[in-house]
Amino acid sequence: MSAGSRAGAAAPVCAPVGAPDGAPAGGDAGPSVPRLRRSRARWAWGVGAGVLLLWSLAGAGVFSGEVLNPAGARQLARFGAGALAPDLSPDFLRLLLGSTLVTVAYAALGAGLAVAAGALGAPLLTRSSWGRRRTGRLLARGAVAVPRGLHEAVWGLLLLNVLGLDPWVGVLAIAVPYGAVTAKVFADLLDEAPRAAHDALVAAGAGRTTALLYGLWPQAAGGLLAYAFYRLECAVRSAVVLGLIGAGGLGYQLSLSFTSLRWDQVWTCVYALTAVCVAAVVAGRAVRRRIADPPAPRGGRLRRDRVLVVAGVAVPALVAWSAWYLAVSPAALVDDRAREQLALLVSAAWPPDVSGPLLVALAGAAVVTVQTSVVAVALATAGAVLLAGLTTRPAHRVAVPRALAGVLVRTALLVLRAVPPPVWALVLLFVLRPGVLPGALALGVYTLGVMGRLTGEALEELDRRPADALTALGASGAAARLYGVAPRAVGPVLALALYRWEVAVRDTVLVGLLGAGGLGALLALQLAVFDWPAVTTTLVVVVALTLAVDLVSDRARAVLR
Amino acid sequence: MRGRDVARSGGPELEPSLQHPSSAPASLPAAPTRRRLLAGLGAGLGAAAAAGALAACGGRTSPVSPAADPSPAGPSAPSGGALTIGAIPDQDPEVLQRLYGLVADSMAEATGLAVTYRPVTDYAAAVSLFRTGDLDLVWFGGLTGVQARRQTPGAVVVAQRDIDEDFRSVFVVNEATGLAPSEDLTELADLRFTYGSQTSTSGFLMPASFLTEQGVDPRGFPGGPGYSGSHDATLQLVASGSYEAGVLNEQVWVARSEAGEVDPAVRLFSRTPPYHDYHWLLGPDAVERLGEDLPERLQDYFLGLSADDPDDARVLELFGAGSFVEARASDHAQIEAVGEQLGLLR
Repeated sequence: MSAGSRAGAAAPVCAPVGAPDGAPAGGDAGPSVPRLRRSRARWAWGVGAGVLLLWSLAGAGVFSGEVLNPAGARQLARFGAGALAPDLSPDFLRLLLGSTLVTVAYAALGAGLAVAAGALGAPLLTRSSWGRRRTGRLLARGAVAVPRGLHEAVWGLLLLNVLGLDPWVGVLAIAVPYGAVTAKVFADLLDEAPRAAHDALVAAGAGRTTALLYGLWPQAAGGLLAYAFYRLECAVRSAVVLGLIGAGGLGYQLSLSFTSLRWDQVWTCVYALTAVCVAAVVAGRAVRRRIADPPAPRGGRLRRDRVLVVAGVAVPALVAWSAWYLAVSPAALVDDRAREQLALLVSAAWPPDVSGPLLVALAGAAVVTVQTSVVAVALATAGAVLLAGLTTRPAHRVAVPRALAGVLVRTALLVLRAVPPPVWALVLLFVLRPGVLPGALALGVYTLGVMGRLTGEALEELDRRPADALTALGASGAAARLYGVAPRAVGPVLALALYRWEVAVRDTVLVGLLGAGGLGALLALQLAVFDWPAVTTTLVVVVALTLAVDLVSDRARAVLR
Repeated sequence: MRGRDVARSGGPELEPSLQHPSSAPASLPAAPTRRRLLAGLGAGLGAAAAAGALAACGGRTSPVSPAADPSPAGPSAPSGGALTIGAIPDQDPEVLQRLYGLVADSMAEATGLAVTYRPVTDYAAAVSLFRTGDLDLVWFGGLTGVQARRQTPGAVVVAQRDIDEDFRSVFVVNEATGLAPSEDLTELADLRFTYGSQTSTSGFLMPASFLTEQGVDPRGFPGGPGYSGSHDATLQLVASGSYEAGVLNEQVWVARSEAGEVDPAVRLFSRTPPYHDYHWLLGPDAVERLGEDLPERLQDYFLGLSADDPDDARVLELFGAGSFVEARASDHAQIEAVGEQLGLLR
């Protein structure tokens, strides 16, 4: 029995958060006796990645001239002091309570719609539905790349122009890009699920839909549900970013206080957001655990699992409450005014601006964007690996200090990702010279918050037997980690890093303004002056760049498997 | 938890059942999961549909949509009509945006309209919402006001603050530059320099114009200029020394200086000539809906606000004004010309 069987079982749980393209965690179901040889392809990719990183660091000015500005430590300290003394006045807390509800409602309804859209769209993207017609499948995948390639904040601004001050703006800005991502991930999960039942149904004469519903969905249900919860947590953070553009909620209050640099209030908002994220993470984790490891049936009878029943009832109830609370009305999406504004927007934005100077500026900005994202992901990966020992929940009972350290680090990571990237960008600019670096580090710190958690979870899913065996043979803790865990962890962790790279390219839109440049800065200026033809061109470039990064990371992940 | 350990470490398929004396087949728990999933999905869709139907029936107004909470203070008689207002101040926005009830109530009481205040943070969003008619009356900055007028033909300038007739920006430098106060802006050309928001009249547009007048490329500066996003951020960034110089609106500079909140590392370098800035702009839809005399009624309200009346004084204080005065569209011709020159108006 090879460890591959375990990897197969673990994949659905871990793959969604890991990589949309399948099962990075313990993913190699290769031959049971590994052959020891160097993979040329891996070396080539490794060298390529190293060169890319060095080039990006050089672009960020790390090797040339000063990058630090120690004099700004006082301003940074003021930001830090706010963390210890948040604004807890009753008026402000009451204000935040209402705003938190709006954010939760946006996130729940947005994620709910995204999961529904993903479930409906996934069959259109799976290998099984297209069979050998690869062109059709590629086209379908290309179609979802467009909504996926644009950041939620960009969707928000576009929707705002069509729908005005309607709650749909916040909901759809989350649901549209998330729906596309979810459809792709669901399709991958379905493709990875064991196919025996599906094939048997088809062989027995069942229709394609029947085979999909009864042969594939149940097999993949665990992974799908786990991913749905993961999306909910992401949606909370996205809802905050949308607040920055005026959709209301916690992000709106955060951005108001941020404009006047009222750090005490900013931190209260961050803590409120952290609390909501903790709730989402804990709930998601409970559900994932139950699915990965169902409790033993007692007395030989099947019983309902309370946790899953509660989750199954609570989540739809939350979505329904959100729809009620926000008072979204489907009619608003198709009324005359929305149609009129859409026509106005399209006529203003078409044809795109393809003048020489704009294209030159776009090319330069695209280079900066790539460099920013590479530096960010490299920092996040290095940090996540260094912290992995503490972010991974120990399988065995451990000493109290170690357990405490683990909780502390995991909470710190949660705070890192609860502070929106634009805030990190300004704060880091206090102690760094302007340029690509502050933006890249801001994105890196935020991504570390996400990667730290995902890396910890990926490592928890790894086969522990090699490390246990080494320990039993008398190896030290460090040696067991180095020889028992590290070799197996490299694949999943790198796959995660590659997946976050795509996300980081999209997120650079948020941090470009402070002298860092990149496509985000260009887009912000074009939107500010209502230069719609140029906005169209820039968005096309953003989507193309996201697609290119997606393809490169896809190839790299294939080499890792 | 031994059972979990074995399962997690990839033991043979049979082993879980060995852990459970009941010896139920290991695959069984999957079945109820599926059924529950489908049932949950069905229940969820049903509930969501029900909620959607409820909302559609108008049983509730959204906490974030324009129809929400018209000011209760207004008589809100059907004849009064409803007016949606908004503002994006660039000093202490959180104060106004969280105390907007004061403004809405005061205006409702004086005009007899049901006034709703819609908070917005983004300049471009406010311009778009004014165009779509989501906002009837908006307190725009100089540049955004001109942008809004270009996108919304028929918009009327209603009033401006007393200080908006003589608005100025100040250039500030970090003390490490050793620069003494001067009228010569060319001394700034070789410093790392930051503006405020890209669409701010006092934080970008007019300073850039004055720099151009003195022969300094406003988009030059070593490494390109930064856009801090707000006047307070500009102050802090110049204090930190990351940017050696910057520009912000004088009102914020004075307020922060008087409160003793300016870092001693920041020095005043130069004060710009005066220009017009913020003003109240009324959209054509509202005039059509609420009557030809609406601009006059609103102007009467604004000009009638008196610092001697305690209620009025609180409203004036929120806007950082001593009083509101008349304004004309032509007041902003200079801004329009500069905006075109800098490519900020299309």
